[in-house]
Amino acid sequence: MSRRLVGSVAATLVMVLAAGCGGSSEADGKIELSLGLFSDFGYDKLIEEYQAAHSNIKIEQRKVKMEQHNTQLATQLAGGRGAADIVALEEGVISQFRASKDKFVNLAEYGAKDLKGQWAGWKWNQGTADGGEFVLGLGTDMGSLGLCYRRDLFEAAGLPTDRAEVAKLWPTWADYAKVADQFTAKTPNVKFVDTGRNVYKAILDQTEEGYFAKDDSYIAEKNDKVKTAFDTAAALGTKQQTGALEPFSQDWNVALKQGSFATTTCPAWALALIKAGAGDAAAGKWDVTTAPGGGGNWGGSFLAVPKQGKHPKEAYELAKWLTAPEQQKRIFKETGNLPSQPAIYKDAEVQATVNEYFNKAPVGQIFGTSAESLKPTYRGTKDSKVTPIFNSALQRVEQGKQPAADAYTQALKEAQDAVK
Amino acid sequence: MTVTRTVTEAAQAASVPSSPGTQPKSSKLSRWDAKYTPYLIIAPFFLVFGIFGLYPLVYTAWVSLHEWQLIDGNLGFVGLANYAELFGDAKFWNALVNTLSLFVLSTVPQLLAALGLAALLDRGLRGSAFWRAGVLLPNVISVAAVALVFAQFFGRDFGIVNFLIGLVGIDPIDWRAETWASHLAVSTMVMWRWTGYNALLYLAAMQSVPKDMYESATLDGASRWRMFWSITVPSIRPTILFTVVTSTIGGLQLFAEPALFDPGFAANNSTGGSDRQFQTLVLYMYEKGFRLFDAGYAATIAWMLFLVVVLVAIINFSLTRRIAGKG
Repeated sequence: MSRRLVGSVAATLVMVLAAGCGGSSEADGKIELSLGLFSDFGYDKLIEEYQAAHSNIKIEQRKVKMEQHNTQLATQLAGGRGAADIVALEEGVISQFRASKDKFVNLAEYGAKDLKGQWAGWKWNQGTADGGEFVLGLGTDMGSLGLCYRRDLFEAAGLPTDRAEVAKLWPTWADYAKVADQFTAKTPNVKFVDTGRNVYKAILDQTEEGYFAKDDSYIAEKNDKVKTAFDTAAALGTKQQTGALEPFSQDWNVALKQGSFATTTCPAWALALIKAGAGDAAAGKWDVTTAPGGGGNWGGSFLAVPKQGKHPKEAYELAKWLTAPEQQKRIFKETGNLPSQPAIYKDAEVQATVNEYFNKAPVGQIFGTSAESLKPTYRGTKDSKVTPIFNSALQRVEQGKQPAADAYTQALKEAQDAVK
Repeated sequence: MTVTRTVTEAAQAASVPSSPGTQPKSSKLSRWDAKYTPYLIIAPFFLVFGIFGLYPLVYTAWVSLHEWQLIDGNLGFVGLANYAELFGDAKFWNALVNTLSLFVLSTVPQLLAALGLAALLDRGLRGSAFWRAGVLLPNVISVAAVALVFAQFFGRDFGIVNFLIGLVGIDPIDWRAETWASHLAVSTMVMWRWTGYNALLYLAAMQSVPKDMYESATLDGASRWRMFWSITVPSIRPTILFTVVTSTIGGLQLFAEPALFDPGFAANNSTGGSDRQFQTLVLYMYEKGFRLFDAGYAATIAWMLFLVVVLVAIINFSLTRRIAGKG
């Protein structure tokens, strides 16, 4: 279909051909395994060790951006070739891929079920299908929730800065909104929170059923929790207490550097992003405390093995090793990605971990405690179709394009069409 | 056609070395040569076109007649159901209107500016090679880099455009929130990339316009402006037609610029604005096919886009021929 599409077809073909040539060739008798990842999983050193211990195996990491990772994986699964031997599936999209589980190896065939006890129950369940009979992926990290805040901006607004006292300010999200009002009254030129979307997501992630009930039926319009979450976040947006920023975008980075917002919801993995965005100049200014409303989970991934790979057994062995307790503990120490295994996040050494950049916050203890009180949300098969609709609605409120009630009504209507 | 004819003539000239009137001895072979060699020479193009152009085109049509999930593949024949759904889909019409609006906003000023730029370059500036290479520079830079830079120019809080309009007392604009503002910003990107390219094409055509026409016009006392519209523009009409058609094809398939202008694109939230303000047809196709995995519907959008491109190209072609032919 004319030049651009032809171009992309050609590019895909070249990619497929290249993958076909390089992907699974067995140079000098070694088995080559590829790992398809989308951000820093902290595997670099571990892979070197694994290769040293297994002289017949050679491992290649492919890291791309998450959106690209997901679409690439989808086309590779559809085309039957090109996918890595082990692929990472993020918690937000695993339900979408679970619907096509025939394209993946059932890891139970290699004995994965024996490992079940390692993970938190909910994490294990997210990675399985057919009532636990089909093991799609082995859990890597998790994203139990914390709340990050700028100490200097809180001080300027006359708020406490000590993390225990800050936590006492907001047992619930309604209290959080009150703090926002106090903050804005004192320092109107600084936004209280980066984006309404993450507040909305955090509240929703603290309920067990959001858009979908546990039987996968769509319940958003009768679920008060969705409405409450939306209203809370939209109210912040209407009062212009949010920066209306796209999370983790270029603009978000700039705003971090300029110190133009004071709080942000932060799962364990977000600490590294905040540090990278805010830079060394803001060291010690950011701090982490307990999020309002209890624990919740945002993000975290799984390692799955596509069926099209040539060495499923070796791939499984590698995935098993990378997600084993000892390795998860090391990854936490190096990257801060929180393990999804209770034995590890309750481990004394992990609990004692502090983050220098975040004013020496005891992140091991904060995130570990949050993980224990966590009630994970059930992600429906069509979750990734519905989520962007509500996100856009919230954005319209923040941009002043639409009153909150209208935006919500429109979102419900669009979502209804999307799940049809 | 032109190519074929030229090649035929060349082949004839090569295979008929003897003077006219005398019959060559190997007349059978040379006749075969003259008849079929041209086809052999152009065959590779059609072969490549068949594989990379025609096959995807037909295959897409086939997919569009099915319920087709991206990963799981064919889920059954549905006839024209996807097309019926498409015609009742408000998001499709929204994307079509956005596409046409962006196309008009970027192409019309772009081609006019290119015409003016070419006229300036044609006047023999000092260091002409430098200027000519310079106008092509934006086209050489990758679209991703251009989009990244422009997305920052048009930033809401710290963008340079808002800073500049602030100097003359205009309130900052949220370039991604408003429909007109987002269209303007995306069009600017397209214009930046393609104006120089089209200017060079016009310049090449202008240089082949016979100079004596200008001389006699000058003797008759015609102004520069009059000469431009009455001599230059009609003389380069074929080139203008060519650029109009290629710009139509390119402009209606706008994807990278609006996609990268939307910061949500990288975060799986790629709808082209909070209310689909700048979602083009290709962006909508991408959303359906690669985010929602509905390949059947995406193929339907692709085919409709193809028809729209053909239609608009024909309209533009006849329109431009009439306008440019007047002088």
